[in-house]
Amino acid sequence: MRRKRQLTVLVFVLALTAAACTSAEDDGTTTTGEGTGTTAATTTTAAPTTTEPAAEDTSVRFLIAENFWADWDPYQHTAQSQSRIEAQIFDYLVDNPDTDAPSVPMLATEWTQVDDRTWEFKLREDVIFHDGSAFDAEDVKASIERASGATDVETLQAGDWIVTNVEIIDPFTVRLVSDEPFAPLFAQLRNTIIVSADDLANNAEEIKTQPNGTGAFRLIENGPTRKVMEANPDYWQGPAQIQSLTWEFIQDPDTRLSALLAGQADVIDRVPPQHLQVIDGSDNLELNSVTGIESVNLWVAPGRLPIWDETPAFRQAMMLSIDRESLVTGLVQGGSAVATSFLPTKTLYHQEGDPAYSRDVEAAKALLAEAGVPDGGPEFELWVASGFLPRAEEVGAAIVANLEEVGFKPKLVVTDLSAMIDDIFSEDGTGAVYHLSWSSNGDPFNHAFVYSETFAWYFGDERLQELIDLSATTTDPAEREKVVQDLQAYLWDQLWHVPLYNSDLTIANNTRLQGLDVRPNFETVFYPASINE
Amino acid sequence: MLKFTLRRTAQMAIVVFGVVTLVFFILRIASGDPANLMNPPGQQEELVQLTREKIGTDRPIPMQYVEYLTGLTRGDLGKSFHGGQPVLDEVLKALPNTAMLAAVTILFSSTVALILGIGAALRPNGVFDRGVLVYVSLALATPSFWLAIVLILFFSVRLGWLPAIDLEGPKSFVLPVITLSVALTPVLIRTIRQSLLETLGDQHVRAARARGIPEQRVILVHGLKMAALPLVTLIGLQLGLILAGSYVVEVIFNWPGIGKLTLDAVAGRNFPMIQGGVLVAAVAFVIVNFFVDLTYAALDPRIRLAQND
Repeated sequence: MRRKRQLTVLVFVLALTAAACTSAEDDGTTTTGEGTGTTAATTTTAAPTTTEPAAEDTSVRFLIAENFWADWDPYQHTAQSQSRIEAQIFDYLVDNPDTDAPSVPMLATEWTQVDDRTWEFKLREDVIFHDGSAFDAEDVKASIERASGATDVETLQAGDWIVTNVEIIDPFTVRLVSDEPFAPLFAQLRNTIIVSADDLANNAEEIKTQPNGTGAFRLIENGPTRKVMEANPDYWQGPAQIQSLTWEFIQDPDTRLSALLAGQADVIDRVPPQHLQVIDGSDNLELNSVTGIESVNLWVAPGRLPIWDETPAFRQAMMLSIDRESLVTGLVQGGSAVATSFLPTKTLYHQEGDPAYSRDVEAAKALLAEAGVPDGGPEFELWVASGFLPRAEEVGAAIVANLEEVGFKPKLVVTDLSAMIDDIFSEDGTGAVYHLSWSSNGDPFNHAFVYSETFAWYFGDERLQELIDLSATTTDPAEREKVVQDLQAYLWDQLWHVPLYNSDLTIANNTRLQGLDVRPNFETVFYPASINE
Repeated sequence: MLKFTLRRTAQMAIVVFGVVTLVFFILRIASGDPANLMNPPGQQEELVQLTREKIGTDRPIPMQYVEYLTGLTRGDLGKSFHGGQPVLDEVLKALPNTAMLAAVTILFSSTVALILGIGAALRPNGVFDRGVLVYVSLALATPSFWLAIVLILFFSVRLGWLPAIDLEGPKSFVLPVITLSVALTPVLIRTIRQSLLETLGDQHVRAARARGIPEQRVILVHGLKMAALPLVTLIGLQLGLILAGSYVVEVIFNWPGIGKLTLDAVAGRNFPMIQGGVLVAAVAFVIVNFFVDLTYAALDPRIRLAQND
């Protein structure tokens, strides 16, 4: 009897193990991220039956490299990952498919300038929110006033706005009146999702977890690292061909690549340089590389390296010491490009700086001598965050080697992003120079804003602040272009920070997906992409 | 037995309470401010403060701790900093996935280890024993992350036989279980082999053979029962570790379990989610250890007597 029981246990163990190894047919559902089998979305691996024709697979899975940082509370985040997914669920008054070209209609069909602080917009009349309620001027008023800081509710995005009130002329005509002339209005409108006035007034808690937009997709699953959307059948431009769209955060780039190669993902985000060749060699995969509106700089914290704050020659010497060309061609690759201005190439009114600051060791040594520190000056910590910007550790090591050759005394500190951010914010922080990036929507004010007195990177340069302010308040295009060019020339001359390169944004996708819109502001728009089986 | 169970339950509660308290304070004191991470570097202080108010880290730490403990007594583990999802829901979704992975891994690796360990012990220094020892050495020297990637590239990408990531059904278990088992089996095999070698030389085994009991029964009943004691301890510890989240494997295979949940939370300093993950890990560990102790008592009457004393 006992032997029989032992045999039964052994058989059970082997059977269970075999069951795990069996090639049983999938049931068409997948448990990924934090989902369970009952709520998970249909995936690309669903097996067709032999008795019915295979249904067209209209699901798309996008693996992203940055986690979702916030809930759906409108205007209460500044996270790129959140903005990217909002663009699938919400609409804006205008769209900016080309960041350095004029805006095109979205929920607004036409607009005219009334005076330097006032614009009048005609609104689209055939738009409804995901909950079935109709869109009109009340929604625009509630959204713009909340976002721009015109209401009592403090918002994180208000910092990018000048307070703007909205006058309703009729249910489909509004006037936006800013407190001051506001040149980046259209760029800001493209950042400002239009939310239902009723939701803002009465459903503030609900919309934190269940967003209600007018966009091409509506959210049906809201996990911490995984968001599943379905096509909005009532979308005013017609329903999307992609019926199910999943965005999922997967931190490890190797895992993202494995999933794409194995056909378990259709699109992957932020392809690192070491993966480019693998994808390029595949018949059914394609790369989509753009130069991002993202400045990767060596950011210097005011007060941490006094000679930097006081001596332009020291700053120029560091700029001339670094072989930025090699960083781009040898390490970062893809669509990255050497920074030719503090505003990336796809920024409106971008202008290349002069001189080019190509690496010149002798000139750098001469500048150090001019700065009074021919021995290279004091030691300082240069921090890089591993796992954040591509090949950050190698970039950091290359920069340190360049600097040491000239005589600088940098000490490389490799850490994680959290520790780096803490060091920047901390009064006891020991870092002086940080390898970090700043991205924007392509408006020059929006991009230069980070160098203003609002942020910790400001060195008290009043002329710089004046130019940044002017870039926000000069509404005449010709005058503004001149102001922005002056701003770039001034930044290039002062070199408060060291501009290294504009980031690569490379996305890889299965060729079954056609028409994916990858924008230099890192947005990846899935409408009106199509699926070609 | 009741007294033993009650005493161990109290000990377990103290351990879990200590772990969650320690984690709570370490996160808040040593790991920095999550609001900073949720804002652009260099963001103005008023806006960072707005984020702190939103996620509740603006309040004094003791107050946050009291709120956390009060919530725990109600079964409320708080809400995610990043999306507002209830932590308990997310933990309960992840736990069965980790438990399934742990169960299959333990069953598979124990079976393999038993077969190889017994085989090696029966013919010490024989061909099979040497082969097993070579496997043990190789397996010990193989990093899990490397093996996982190699398995994915070969079986998922090149051959297309198995899913590379996710939990899609029975096939999804194969690669993670193999990866974990390669890490797990060497120590199990060595333990079984060594224990069995020692036990087979004991007087009670020689006596059993002298009584004419078949060799198969001598090994499985008289030998293996005594050799099982250290094995049970090891399996218990390993089960606890996998239940606490086999981090590397869950991340590489995108396995929707406790390990991945916790690591994703750590990367974003999502305190409530980290606390939820650690709480589950701590509870899993102490419960498994409790059952190991019970199993010990059942296997070895001397331990039962000692407890009764």
